[in-house]
Amino acid sequence: MNAAQHFYARESRREFLKSSGLGIGGLGLGSVLNQNLFADNAATRRPHFRPRAKHVIYLHMVGAPSQLDLFSHKPELTKRNGEKCPDHMFKGKRLAFIRQHPLLLGSRFKFNRHGQGGLALCEHLPQLGTVADELCLVQSIRTEHFNHAPAQLFMHTGFGRFGRPGIGSWINYGLGSENSDLPGYVVMITGSVAGAGNSLWGSGFLPTVHQGIEFRSNGDPVLFLANPKGIDRDDRREIIDGINFLNRQSFDAVGDPEINTRIVQYEMAFRMQASVPELMDTSTESADTHTMYGTQPGKPSFANNCLLARRLVERGVRFVQLFDQGWDHHSGVFNSIPRKAKQIDQPVAALIKDLKQRGLLDETLIILGAEFGRTPMLQGNSNNGAAGNVGRDHHKEGFSMMLAGGGVKGGITYGDTDELGYQAVDHPVHLHDMNATILHLLGIDHEKLTYKYQGRDFRLTDVHGHVQDGIIA
Amino acid sequence: MRAALPIFLALTLHSFAAPSHWAYTAPKRPALPKTDSDWPRNPIDYFILAKQKENQLAPSPTASPSQLLRRVHLDLTGLPPTPDVVAQFLENPSDTAYEKIVDDLLYSKHYGERWARPWLDLARYADSNGFQADQLRDSWAYRDWVIDAFNSGMPFNQFVIEQIAGDLLPNATPSQRIATGFHRTPTCNVEAGVHPEENRVNQVFDRVNTTGTVFLGTTLECAQCHDHKYDPFSIKDYYSLFAFFNNTPLEVKQTGTSVTFEFYGPTMDLPISTEQQRAIDTLNAQKKQLDQQLAKLKADSAAQQANWEKATLTALQNAPEWSVLGIKQFSASGNPKHELQPDGSVVVTGPNPDKSTYTLRTDTTLPQITAIRLEALTHPSMHKGGPGRNKSPKENPNFIVNEFELKVDGQKIAFASVTASFSQTRWHVNGSIDGNLATGWAINPEFGEPATAIYKLTKPLAFKPGESLEFSIIQTYGGGRTIGRPRLSAMNGDPGAINLPDNIAAILKKTKRSRQESKQLTEYFQKENPQLKATETELAATNKKIAAIKPPTTLVMVEEDKPRETFIMQRGEYLNPGAKVTATTPEILHGMSADLPRNRLGFAKWLVAPQNPLLSRVTVNRWWAEIMGRGIVSTEEDFGTQSEPPTHPALLDWLSVEFIERGWSMRRIHKLIVMSATYRQSSRVTPAAQAADAPNKWHARAPRLRMSAEMVRDNALTISGLISTKMHGPPVYPPQPGGIWRHVGRNAPKYVAATDEDRFRRGVYVVWRRGAPYVSFTNFDAPDRGACVVRRPRTNTPLQALTLLNDEAYVEMAMAFAHRITEINGATVDSRIQFAYRSALSREARAAEINYLKPLLTQRLAYFQKNPKAATDLVNNVKGWKAPQGADPAELAAWFYLANILLNLDETITKS
Repeated sequence: MNAAQHFYARESRREFLKSSGLGIGGLGLGSVLNQNLFADNAATRRPHFRPRAKHVIYLHMVGAPSQLDLFSHKPELTKRNGEKCPDHMFKGKRLAFIRQHPLLLGSRFKFNRHGQGGLALCEHLPQLGTVADELCLVQSIRTEHFNHAPAQLFMHTGFGRFGRPGIGSWINYGLGSENSDLPGYVVMITGSVAGAGNSLWGSGFLPTVHQGIEFRSNGDPVLFLANPKGIDRDDRREIIDGINFLNRQSFDAVGDPEINTRIVQYEMAFRMQASVPELMDTSTESADTHTMYGTQPGKPSFANNCLLARRLVERGVRFVQLFDQGWDHHSGVFNSIPRKAKQIDQPVAALIKDLKQRGLLDETLIILGAEFGRTPMLQGNSNNGAAGNVGRDHHKEGFSMMLAGGGVKGGITYGDTDELGYQAVDHPVHLHDMNATILHLLGIDHEKLTYKYQGRDFRLTDVHGHVQDGIIA
Repeated sequence: MRAALPIFLALTLHSFAAPSHWAYTAPKRPALPKTDSDWPRNPIDYFILAKQKENQLAPSPTASPSQLLRRVHLDLTGLPPTPDVVAQFLENPSDTAYEKIVDDLLYSKHYGERWARPWLDLARYADSNGFQADQLRDSWAYRDWVIDAFNSGMPFNQFVIEQIAGDLLPNATPSQRIATGFHRTPTCNVEAGVHPEENRVNQVFDRVNTTGTVFLGTTLECAQCHDHKYDPFSIKDYYSLFAFFNNTPLEVKQTGTSVTFEFYGPTMDLPISTEQQRAIDTLNAQKKQLDQQLAKLKADSAAQQANWEKATLTALQNAPEWSVLGIKQFSASGNPKHELQPDGSVVVTGPNPDKSTYTLRTDTTLPQITAIRLEALTHPSMHKGGPGRNKSPKENPNFIVNEFELKVDGQKIAFASVTASFSQTRWHVNGSIDGNLATGWAINPEFGEPATAIYKLTKPLAFKPGESLEFSIIQTYGGGRTIGRPRLSAMNGDPGAINLPDNIAAILKKTKRSRQESKQLTEYFQKENPQLKATETELAATNKKIAAIKPPTTLVMVEEDKPRETFIMQRGEYLNPGAKVTATTPEILHGMSADLPRNRLGFAKWLVAPQNPLLSRVTVNRWWAEIMGRGIVSTEEDFGTQSEPPTHPALLDWLSVEFIERGWSMRRIHKLIVMSATYRQSSRVTPAAQAADAPNKWHARAPRLRMSAEMVRDNALTISGLISTKMHGPPVYPPQPGGIWRHVGRNAPKYVAATDEDRFRRGVYVVWRRGAPYVSFTNFDAPDRGACVVRRPRTNTPLQALTLLNDEAYVEMAMAFAHRITEINGATVDSRIQFAYRSALSREARAAEINYLKPLLTQRLAYFQKNPKAATDLVNNVKGWKAPQGADPAELAAWFYLANILLNLDETITKS
């Protein structure tokens, strides 16, 4: 029995087979030695049905941008700006910061129509306007939490507390990886880390091979990737040769197949020491590409992470997650939105165009969203004149997410909030529904992707989730 | 995909008929299976052998003495044996010698450290709150309590009672209260805008669910929203358990009226540490000395004062005096109101301009002026009396004089110097005459008292009587920081001659003084005595230092005086209460004795009742799994109807009953396991054996298990000789790459790697920050401890390879190991390799291994001798490590290769 087969015999697969039936569980049983980095099985697993997307690039705007100033055009709100908000928006509601009956706050930005679908986008998203026909704006998202860290956990793990795996881990667990030299789930961050910390890409109760691996923009891109000073690549080769020689001796003596797996992992570590720096080095990209993204080789930025996301997807990485901090605009919303929108508008538009020109957009699902949205009510003092004082509170009743590629309809808006932008009224989409839909696009039945833990079959969507057929192309 | 509900279960589910599931019936001691074999060494082996037979398997031969020795060391203490212990045991590997070693290990202080690790996973112990900002909290005394409880052999039933309800025990000792830290570990969200009650409810959920998992092997969580789908626990059962835990206070507190929240909740002071006590003793000795010095100085002062009074009075009679410059005209930019006062001052009132320049016009009868005095007097119109008008913050009625100017006939008069009664840090009065508007004179925190500045002119200013002076007080800082009641005086003479406050001068001149006045005079005199002043300052500082030494604290459970009512939370939502419930244990389990109180203490005693069918089974099963690699019930966290059936039900029951009847002794069970023939088997696996029983369900061989994250560290530290065996205390910070602790926000802590022995302490003491746990631990499957974890996964990844190869902590260990090897004087390469093997693997190197490593070493050594720079590049760049004097860099560099290789071997990080 080889290492891979041995590996299959271990708990995770056994439980996986048992819990997921034959769908995804039709693992590549006959496959040879486990060549798969970070994976606990050799072959890419089979989805439940025909997938529309093979990869996901998930852009999480940490802190939660104002949907009302970017994606969701509410002329009525603007018209009634400064009025006391209707009672139903405040009385009996729990809000994170607002304590006194607030005023309505209309957007001060112009919304322009783009593309054949006439998609309305804020004036500060002109580049996204040029790819409007690829965009699917879901305007009716709902969630359960209005504090950052629990809401972030809920968005990714379907649960507002610690301990459960995130969507990237679930997808890697369900589908496996396609690249033998890179992890199946890569995370990159601009700004400080999100409140819920590394747990957002932890694997919860799933085997830890499914956790996200952070590629860092400072220091080693992957922790411990670089050899210590004084040890070069040839030296490292010599040391790994020594380790593997002695491990083979050990295998001959005790016969534990796990030893062979370890030999393979050391080889992979050695390959990663070359492949990851190669991946991170964007100097091989054309000048046009850099112009399109607004990037410079070696300079960390959200735009640079977008370009790296494309490079990762190109190499078969299943799930790429970018976190961008700085969207929590309790004050100064009208000053901050133009500045932050500028940071994402061009690179996200470039990412969509770039994937398209490479024929990868069809199989790559791009999601841009946040842990919740922001209130149509003013937070701050009533001094509407000074932009610096005007902000919006956390809001869970209705907000927006933007999707593109990977089997979603382009150039459409789906669902809506009421005319004041408060409550999702038209086709409300709970985050569980969104997660179910994302899994569906990847060919996974969210009710069948389960993992047995503590005597219970856990799902990303718990006992909820409805696939939103209306956004699927 | 959910399995269909078995019909028999569906029938029993909600009717709560007699329990049909094996785990809900209390274990009885089964008879030992019969056998002719002489293989069994203790009862465990009879059960194992019987099952092997049933499955056509047979035991493996006994492990080699070195393998066994290493295995039992790692299992019981988490540390490998030293080369000396290895050598000693290999000389006489008898049964008696083995048993002696087992007993020593069971009573080693490292036993508690090793077994605390899995318990702390269950207890979700961490040093931070989790969530936004993820601030640190002090709860390490609980971690130490667990270590000490295991080391002291505390019976497990008591171990449970103290953790669940130590605070409620009669005359609870500090140690029993510290034990309740077990349930103060849940995560706590203090981000702005959080709702404290929601946070509290989440924490109680966590307590109930963790209690179910740890002590009952039951997933109660399902019953949080609805009756359990598979197991016989209803939503009512759930909230009846919830009621036991529902009387604890909020743990998040709003600060003031803002949306800012603080971590809060009951803490307990720990005894002062010996270091702290030593510091206090030293300070107290200092304080005593200062007190004596001060008393003496004061006594001497009385005699000096009489002389001083006489001399000063004489001087005073000849001294120039200030004469107040009556204000004739006052104007101010920003147009505040003003009222001229009879004492020559002016009170500025009304709306306070953000910035204001005062222009004051005075005349004088003095023929010549040598100094000007500016007073900022107090007045009830200002907060605290001022002397500044600054309104926000209200507590700080400050002013800032950016410039002070004097003009005569439009001619600016230059000042030579200025002194003030008090100047605020960074706002020295010099700033009021430096021509720079960015600087100025302010007086925070000396509020409520007049402030005075004396400006000396560069040369005497003569004038004709009636000539007028124009003063400007320029106050441009903003925020209304202006003087509320300025007064100006002038002098002809040296203002420094007798620098006495007016009131003191007045008292001095009196021939008859009231007692109050005499006291004031003495105080003034003593205050001006530089020696006295210095001693007093030092004494105050010492007192402050003593007060600053606070005892460390730890989080504990405390019951509220007034019990909360508990309601079923419909769909698990705390804002959606249903029927009221009282604290009751689940119907399906053993009854709660009527004489037990219906509180946490009663509940804890119910948990440890011998009739409890789950506690002993769940506990011995976890230990079995930790040592044998797989539980008798492989779903260690779940003994419910959806669990895996036990592979050896009789063994499980036998061990459970043994455990209870032998006084709940953990050591007793551990000894039974490690003394068994089952445990002592070789871990060698043949392809046939692998095919027959890949997961090793039937224990026909010993398991080979990769060590836990902490054990990987402790093992490498021991091999390298760096390990510190210091126990207990606040968490430690071994080296890790920069940029891992990135949370921002209030009180976000910084990671500063230890440079002392804390750098090399065992993994159980390493700081556990939930949002960013110690990275090399995460790479070896450590959880974030955000929730209770029963079973860690055991993966095999390239990140583990990279960690052991390149993590600076492991590079340092490899270099230290290399140094340790080269320290053996006059040894041959062969004997050094043997020493390295005995250290790392507790065995001799085999010929093939020596044959491979020796040429590698010789070749490397030759290379480094020829290229000394390559050697120093390697040796001198190991962070935190300094090559000891006299060490040969070429030797070190060459042996580093071998050390790096050995620390990375599968065998090194595997318990086999």
